[in-house]
Formats: sequence, structure tokens, C-alpha cells
Amino acid sequence: MIVDFEYFAPKTVAEALSLLAQHKGEAKIIAGGQSMLVVMKRGLLTTENLVDIKGIDALDYIKYDEGKGLRIGPLTIHRAIEKSPIIQKHYRVLSEMEHNLATVQTRNWGTIGGNLCHGDPAGDPAPVLIALNAKLKIASSKGERIIETEDFSQDYLEVALEPDEMLIEIQVPTPPPHTGTASEKLMVMKGDMGIVGAAVSITLNPKDGVCKDARIALSNCGSTPLRAKKAEKKLIGKVLNDSLLIEAGEVASEETAPPADVHGSSEYRKEMVGVFVRRAAIKALEKAKAA
Amino acid sequence: MKGELKELKLTVNGKSYEFKVKPKTLLVELLRNELKLTGAKIGCLDSACGACTVNVDGKAVRSCSVLALQANGRKVTTIEGVADGDKLHPIQEAMVEYGAIECGFCTPGMVMSARALLGENPAPSREEIREAIQGNLCADEGYVKYIEAIEIAAKKMRGGN
Amino acid sequence: MEETFGNFAIIGKPMPRVEARAKVTGQAKYAADIEVADMLWGFVKRSPYAHARILNIDASKAEKLPGVKAVTTGKDFGGFKWGWSGPTRDEEPLAVEKVRYQYEGVAAVAAISEDIAEEACDLIEIDYEPLPGVFDPFEAMKEGAPLVHDDRPGNITVEYHWSFGEVDKLLAESYLVQEDTFQTPRMAKGYLETPSAIAYWPDDDHVVYIGAKGSPYFPYRILSRCFNLPLSNVRIIQPTIGSDFGGTKNDMTPADFSVVMLAKKTGRPVKITTTQFDTLTTDLRRHPMWITMKTGVTKDGILTAIHTKIVSDGGAYTRMSPLTHYLTGICMGLPYHLPAFKHDVVCYFTNNPSSAAMRGHGIYHTAFARECQMDMIAEKLGMDRVEIRLKNLIKNPKPGEIYETVNKLHVATAGTEECLEKVRDAVNWKKRQDGYKAYGTGYASGTYLSGTNLSAHNACAAIIRVCEDGSVNYLTGATDVGQGSDTVMCAFVAEVLGITMKDIDIKRVDSAFTPVDPGSYGSRVTVLAGHAAINAAQDAKDQLLEVAAQQFGVKQAEVDIKDRLAFVKTEPSRNMPWERLVRIACYEAPGKVIIGRGYSTKGGVGHTLADFSRGVGDIGTNYSFTAQASEVEVDTETGVVKCTDNSVIAHDCGFPLNPPAVETQVQGGAYHQGVSAALYEEFKMDQGQTLNPNLVDYMRPRANEAPMSQVLHVVTNDPYGPFGAKEASEGSCCSAPPAVISAIYDATGVWIKDLPAQPEKVFRALKAKKEKKQKK
Repeated sequence: MIVDFEYFAPKTVAEALSLLAQHKGEAKIIAGGQSMLVVMKRGLLTTENLVDIKGIDALDYIKYDEGKGLRIGPLTIHRAIEKSPIIQKHYRVLSEMEHNLATVQTRNWGTIGGNLCHGDPAGDPAPVLIALNAKLKIASSKGERIIETEDFSQDYLEVALEPDEMLIEIQVPTPPPHTGTASEKLMVMKGDMGIVGAAVSITLNPKDGVCKDARIALSNCGSTPLRAKKAEKKLIGKVLNDSLLIEAGEVASEETAPPADVHGSSEYRKEMVGVFVRRAAIKALEKAKAA
Repeated sequence: MKGELKELKLTVNGKSYEFKVKPKTLLVELLRNELKLTGAKIGCLDSACGACTVNVDGKAVRSCSVLALQANGRKVTTIEGVADGDKLHPIQEAMVEYGAIECGFCTPGMVMSARALLGENPAPSREEIREAIQGNLCADEGYVKYIEAIEIAAKKMRGGN
Repeated sequence: MEETFGNFAIIGKPMPRVEARAKVTGQAKYAADIEVADMLWGFVKRSPYAHARILNIDASKAEKLPGVKAVTTGKDFGGFKWGWSGPTRDEEPLAVEKVRYQYEGVAAVAAISEDIAEEACDLIEIDYEPLPGVFDPFEAMKEGAPLVHDDRPGNITVEYHWSFGEVDKLLAESYLVQEDTFQTPRMAKGYLETPSAIAYWPDDDHVVYIGAKGSPYFPYRILSRCFNLPLSNVRIIQPTIGSDFGGTKNDMTPADFSVVMLAKKTGRPVKITTTQFDTLTTDLRRHPMWITMKTGVTKDGILTAIHTKIVSDGGAYTRMSPLTHYLTGICMGLPYHLPAFKHDVVCYFTNNPSSAAMRGHGIYHTAFARECQMDMIAEKLGMDRVEIRLKNLIKNPKPGEIYETVNKLHVATAGTEECLEKVRDAVNWKKRQDGYKAYGTGYASGTYLSGTNLSAHNACAAIIRVCEDGSVNYLTGATDVGQGSDTVMCAFVAEVLGITMKDIDIKRVDSAFTPVDPGSYGSRVTVLAGHAAINAAQDAKDQLLEVAAQQFGVKQAEVDIKDRLAFVKTEPSRNMPWERLVRIACYEAPGKVIIGRGYSTKGGVGHTLADFSRGVGDIGTNYSFTAQASEVEVDTETGVVKCTDNSVIAHDCGFPLNPPAVETQVQGGAYHQGVSAALYEEFKMDQGQTLNPNLVDYMRPRANEAPMSQVLHVVTNDPYGPFGAKEASEGSCCSAPPAVISAIYDATGVWIKDLPAQPEKVFRALKAKKEKKQKK
């Protein structure tokens, strides 16, 4: 049974921020509610005040500029990102990730911002945004700040938002030339939360094929998305081949201590990290070579 | 004030309505309890089964996972609004004619997912049909005849035979 | 989709279901959709402990909450106990002395809203004394283990020990004995519609219950005893039902008893709708079983004997376990010729939610074990997997002949050979590898009983009422839970009467008016209720033919009705339309009312009653036979297994009365209750607590992973079935799991004997195999 609340439906960001400031810690934001309503129904979340931001049209946008890169409003629904021609052309990995995120119904109402702010380490967008080196713009009535996506998630279902703050933009930089990004997750059925997941970005030096940069982010391996930095170091500065990618996977696996649950033990998940880092890296490398 | 009733204006199956609802009211509860449109079913608590699927502004959405107040100003279509009077929609016709329906509990949700799909993609591949109903659990039928019926309906709607 | 069978007017051709239109437009009303004037809402309070004594219940705060109209606890039921049959009455409507599984119902509240009822339940204070419990049969069987029921030593729910032939000797003499232990998982029935019920008392002596029950006559009898009412005063009304698959919706729940008691106390209707959480924590489950099977064969692969030992988890109460475990062994040989077998099965009480029937009831467990072993044996003998089955199958008996199994089951038709040959011919795909994806195929063949014949409550009848305008009412006690039986029954009636489906209106269960019928379980409706419908229609027809004969001035045997026309057989030009005949029959002779009645008789002739303790008796009126071939794709790096579209199932249902319905049933049974057991579903438990009680963590099979199974019909025209029909689809629930597991073996060389073959399990098995190979 959901416990009732006072309800507000601001139409602008300013209104929303003012409400958050006013209710100091006794207010929660709802966007698409696809994660939030589930926990509310289970009685695991209650709030005195609910600030429904779904109606703030100004936060629903996909903008692209070759110089600045991609700007996504947090209220953009998953389905819009999945189907966006701009994103399919310039940031295909985001569309691919959205394609496997839950089911069509969820993607038609749930938002990328809502997903990020829910802070579930199994969430699909965060690792991809980390691999893409994306930043998040956060606002309160006092001002704005920008943080790295990988600093956003603090703990299981906890993100770096003060009670009076709100996510207002996702900023994805233009990838360096010869960069490919891919994500893969372990699903039993299409749309499942990944038992583990990996997003890998590889940048090549076109002259000698050496890996200039690599970014590896993992989902569902801990209480937050993780950067597998040691695995990245295995790849940077080298010409990539199959055995190196396997090695990177193994190193990434060693960097994790995934908790067990009904879907898999820790040992299994660790092994799967290796598999999925490798699989994502192979795809990323293909894309980088073609870029 | 907590639980204070809020105003809601929306269109359901072509008719305009005004309500005052408790904020926590889910869209499915509004449809079933206020409008007595019991076609959308409640099959789970976890946004997992899709039996509550309706169309909001043409999109397939789980009405159990949408606050009624979020449907303010929107157009909602439920299973009761799909047929044209006595004339069944091609999707409905195909499901009846080809034996896709068994216990029928998941059927309204299936129809709504299929309707939304064919509304935006009149010539879906089999894979796209599977994707569209991936969020609709059935326990009876094996999905085979649902998929076939949707293919047949799509073809008919495109003018094929 | 276009196939038709036979030369009948209606039967054997695709027929849209009579209730499909109501379902597809959202008009069909399921129990949760029904509202009654002046209704209150109920909510059940449940125990947080899996095993505990109830020391005290204080409902005073709940009673005082504004909006609460009544509270009920177990004591209100005066010591009443119920069960599936007389000797198994061990369960109370709401727990009184102790609770035996987590979330067992202990109290219920009726209030003016569901929220208030739920809040009130939170205010009921209950003192429990937690008790040590047993959570699997191996704990339960230990000496000195805590007892789930104080009067049931050893925690044994039921046990059977049968022996046919000199099994030990035959096994000792066999060329090869294959011995393995298999495990079937703890599973949910899987229905999406959670149980819901409304009850009210029109007066102190009459009760009305509207609820999702696949066997309405169970609550009819049980409520009569519980509330001390004659059966005539217990009115059970059936709404549209969102499937059942064998249990909970034909049995009683705490919510069922609560609505009736709360309605009695408040004098108002009370409704309780349970949630999927309630279903996934308390509704009846498929038994998990540990099956050790020893199968002996000759050098040529001919079966000599089978010895099966089963340990089973029955959960907290007996429920239907006696029947379940009888079914694990009763058809042991079929579809093969098995000269001897021994069956030792013991089911234990545990402090888990109760286990009971589920589609593929009983047979599915041993069919899984046996079919895997057939493949293992074939491999050891260097034989083809289809060949070994063909060698052992019983041939389809000739018309007039009966095959008798070693435990005295009588089989008149068995189309397995044709099924298996059709399947073999349809398999046009090969074993292969594509990177880390391995593909393989598995085969299985099996049987399922049809038209379950049990003593006592197997009575089954129908009434046909011919209205003056020619429309016909078919009154039945049979329940369609989604399998399409309503449609087929109407088809029988129309076929026999010589009219069309449009003329028939089915009057569903309302025990005030419809005759008794045990309901949907044991694949009995088409066969047994079908006979009743045919007999009733024939009775009504005879009354009309008598009138027709008079009108035409001929003998009754010389007239018939076809295509809505009554006519003289030798002179068809002498005819009259159906409506005119009916009108004459109803109006010309004062006081004549055309009412046909019939009951099922087929099950009684030449069949012996089931004897659970000895393992004999014609449990089925007849038996369906199935053969299946399924391909899987195994991701050898992750262990994820998926069925491909290469899937073919041949089903001998005697005669396909409604071919598309047979296909859907077979496809669905194979996927939802079969493949799902093999690959996806399992309740994970910890000391009686269900760890995955939601549809995200408890994985139900979905559309993207569904194989587009091709269904092939095999016709054998069984003499005991209506129009030759036998059951459709419990057979494929049993053939699918071994076909899938065998396919995994074909693809990878590993046998997953404990279901489900979830990714980690497959991964570990593959890893172990690799390491073993490397050591060599």
C-alpha cells in the first residue's frame, strides 16, 4: 500500500527547485516513477511531499552540436533516446543500451534522469555514460554544479544530490576521433536487469593502432557502478588483440567483489565480468576501427 | 496537506473527465475504480507483468506504474476504447479468429501493446513484435499465436490479405 | 492454422472461442472486477513466522479503527478442519494453535476500504512463540526432527511402495542399468490473475460466493461443511477465470474462508483480492522432488524394469499430495512397454507453503527422469535416440483391442509411434557451433492421463434447456479456466442437436442451478463433461425427434436433425426448420418442456477405480501421447540457454476437436509449464522464507524467448473419448523439460539433472567438464 503524500506538479525548473528548498529534506522527486513506484508499493519508501517533475517540458530534449557534443534533458524518456536519429548516428551505444533496458512500456514513461537518480547499481545508463566520459549538471535554487557521472552514485540507491538539488542535464562530450563505445550485459531474458554489465570505450591512434585511451565501467558489481581502472591500464598504450582483451577482462574481474543474490553467486558474477568486459571491448574496438 | 485531493483532467477513450483524486492514486486504480473500466488488470506489484497496459498519447504504458495525476491533460485509451462500436479492431479480430486467447487475463494488455506498436510501426518484423509484447506476461498460450495474430492484423491493416 | 479433421458439421474445424470476444474487448469480468452493492473490503493478516505457536491474538485496536466493521480469527471456525479428502483434513481456515508456513493466514478484517482493512490488520497484535522448523524433506525425515503436525510422526505426508514384477532380479540381469538422481524445482503455478473472492449472505441460511475457482464444487462442499449449511443453500458462482494450472484456484485459501465469515459477521458482502506477492509466497506450488531412477535394458535397448525412489516436499499441509504422488508412478511405463517396475515415494511435511497439483501433475517429475535416461542409455548403447524409443513404444492397439500395462491401466489408443516418426521427419536442423554459441537438439516422448477417474466426487452432469424460440441453454458444472472447454462443450451440443454454435448459450457454474462437476483438473473436462454434454444433448434431441416423428407420421428412428433442419431420412424434402419444430414441441402439447439431462458414463465401463496404495486402477479414461524435439542455443561462456524456434511437438489427442485450441494448449503447456521448469523457474528459499516473491526475481517465460513451436496433430479416435478425443497439452508439459535438458546435453555434453538449468548452473557444469577434460 502506498502511503499518501502532499503532491506538487511544478511546470518549471525554478518552481521545482523552490519547492525542494522549501521542504528541506521532506520532499522527493518523481519523474517517470518506473523505479520509484515499485519501491513505494512495497512500502519501502514514503515521503511527506512528492514533487512531480514529469510535466517540466523544458527538461525533455536531445540536443547535438558537433563541438559541444550531446545534451540530454533528464526527463527524456528512454524510448526517445532509443529511437533518436541523432543518437543513433553519433552515440549509437546509447540507443543500443536503451534497446535492452527493461521493456517498451517502461521505456515509454521512464526517464534517463529518473534512472540515474534512482541510483541502482544495476542501472544500464550509468556505466555507458561513464564510458562516454559524460558529466551531469545539477542545480539548486542557489546555483549549478557539474560533476563526473562516476562520482554521482554514492551507494546502493543513494546519489550525490542534496535534498534541495535536482539533475538538470546530461552532457556527453564529442568522442575523440577513432573512438568506439559498446555495452553488453548478462541477461537471461531480453530486458532483464543485467546480472553483470560492462560498458567499454576505446580510442585508437589511427597511425599505429595503439590504444590511446580506454574506459571501462561495470554495472551490478557493487553498490555503485564501478570503473575498472586497472583493466583500462592493461589496454592503454598497446596494440589491442584478442588475448589482451581477455586479459583486460580478467583484470577487471579481479577488481570487483560483486555481492551474491538470487540470480548469481559472487564467483559467477566475477567470472562474468571478465566475459562481458571482453565482449564489450571487442565491439568497442570494431567500432573504433570503423570510426 | 498530505493526501489532499488534487484536480485531474484527462480524456479516456475519447471522453473528457474531471476528477479529484488522492495523489497516490495510480492510473490503473482510477480507470478500474472510478471509471469502472476493468479491462486493465492488476497482475503484479512490480511493474513486471503488463496486464495493466494502456495507451497514453498512443504509447504503451503500464497504468500501474503511472500516477493518475501524471495523466493530467493526456489522452488515455483502454481496451474498452479499441473496438469501433461493435466492429472489432483488426488486432482483436485476429486474436479471436486464430485462437490466440486462452484465459484472457493478459489479453487486454497484449492488445494495447500491439495497438501501440502498429500505430508507430505498421510493418513490424517478428522480432519487433516480440519486443513489443516482451513486457506482457502470459501464462497460458506460449505467445506463439499472439505473435502470429499480430502479424496477420498488421498485414490486414496495411491492406494485405 | 487451416487444418480440419473428420467430417462433422462443427467438430474438427477451427472454432473461435465462445468467450473470446468478451475477453478481447475487456468486457469479461474476472473475480477482482466484480463489485456488489454495499460491499466491504477485506484483508488477511499473515504470520511472519514459518513455524510458531500462536499464544495470543488481541484485535481490540483493530476493531476500534474507524471504518472497520468486523474481525475474524481462527477460533471463529469452531475447530473446523478441511482437506482435499476425508482422511486428509488437517488444515484450518485461519490458523488457531500454530502456523506452519510463512504468511499463513491468522486473522482477517472487513472495512469500508482496502486501505483501512490493511491498516487494521497491522493493528492486530499477535504473540507468537517461534518454533524450530524443517525446511526440506531431508531435514524433515531426520530422527528427532521438529514435527510440522504433532499427530504425524516422521513428518510423512504420504508414502507409497508399489511393486510389479521381480524388479530387483530383472535389474540384476539387465545388460545395462542406468542410475541417476534428478531434481525438479519448487515452482509457482504461474497464473497472472491472483485469487479474488466476494461472499454475502442473502439471509442467515444461504451464502453466495463468487470467486476464481477452477473447481467450484470444492468450495461448495467445503463451505457447506464449514458453515453447517445444506449443499442446496451454498451458492457458488463462477466468473471468468484467469487460469489455474491445478491448485489454489480449485482449493481453498484463508481469504476464501475469511470473506464468508466476515460477510456473516457484518451482514454485508465482503471482497478480498489477494496480490501477486500473496500468490508467490502462499499459493500452492509444484512439489520439488528428488527422483532416483534405476532403469534396466537389454543389450538391444529394450526396457527390462524401472525402480524409482522419490523424496518429495509437500509443504505444510496435505492438500492433494496423495494424488500427486500416485500420479508420479501410475503411468510409469507409458508410452513404453514396461514389464516391471517398483515405485517408492515418500512425501514429507515441511514448514514451507504447501505443494499441490500443477499442469503435468505428478507424471512430469518421473517423465523428466525417465526420458533423460532413455537418451543416456541410447548413447551408451550407441543407438539413435529416436530408435530406442520406437523400439520400446507400445504400438497403437487395433480397434477393439486394449493394451494393459503391468499395473492394469487400460489403453485403447496410443499414437506415440506416429508422433515420434512425425517429429523425426520434421527435424531438419543440425547440431552446430557458432563461436561461443552451441546448438543441440533433444527428444522426448510421453503420455498424460485424460478424463481423470477418481472415486467419490467424479460425478459430472449437464442439462440442456431448449427455449421456445429455438435458442438452447447448456447448463454445466464444468469450468473453463482458459483451456477452451466451454467452446468445445457448446460444439458438442450443437453437433449432436444438429444446429449451430450461435444457437447455444452456455450457462456457467452457479451451483444453485447447474449440476455438479468436479471442475478443471486432471484433464477431465473435455472427456468427462464432454460426455455429459453429449448425453444431455442426445436426451433433448430424442424428445424433439419424438415430436418430429409425430409431425411427419413416421417412426422416431426415421427422423434426424442436421443444419438446423428436422427431416425424414429417406425423404429429406419432408422437413421443417429447427425453430418450427421447437415451437411445435413447446406449444402444441400443454406442459411439455424440452429439458435434456445427461451424465458421464464412459469412465465407468471396463475401467477399475484408482487404488492409491497399490498403484493400480484406471486413473484415466484414456491417455494422450506426445513426442517432442526441441533445439536450444547455449551460450557456453555464460551458461545462458535459450530455446530456438526449432521446436516441433506431435500430439495424439485422439481427435482434435478444435485444432487451433489444441495447438495453443500444446504450445503453451510446453513453454510455460515445461520449458520454464527446465530453464527459468525456481523459488529460492531460506528457512521457510521465499527469497524471490516477485515476477522480476522469479522469472516467468516471456515472448522474446518463446519458441514458435510447430504442432503436428496425430489422430487415433479413442473409443472412450467424445468424438474420439483425449486430453490436449498436459502431455507437452511433461515432454518439454526432458527435450530441453537433452538438447543442452547434445549441444555441450553436460547433463543438468537438477532443474532449472539456470545460467550459473550450466556455467559451472561446463567449467567442471572442461577441467575434467584438461586433467586427462
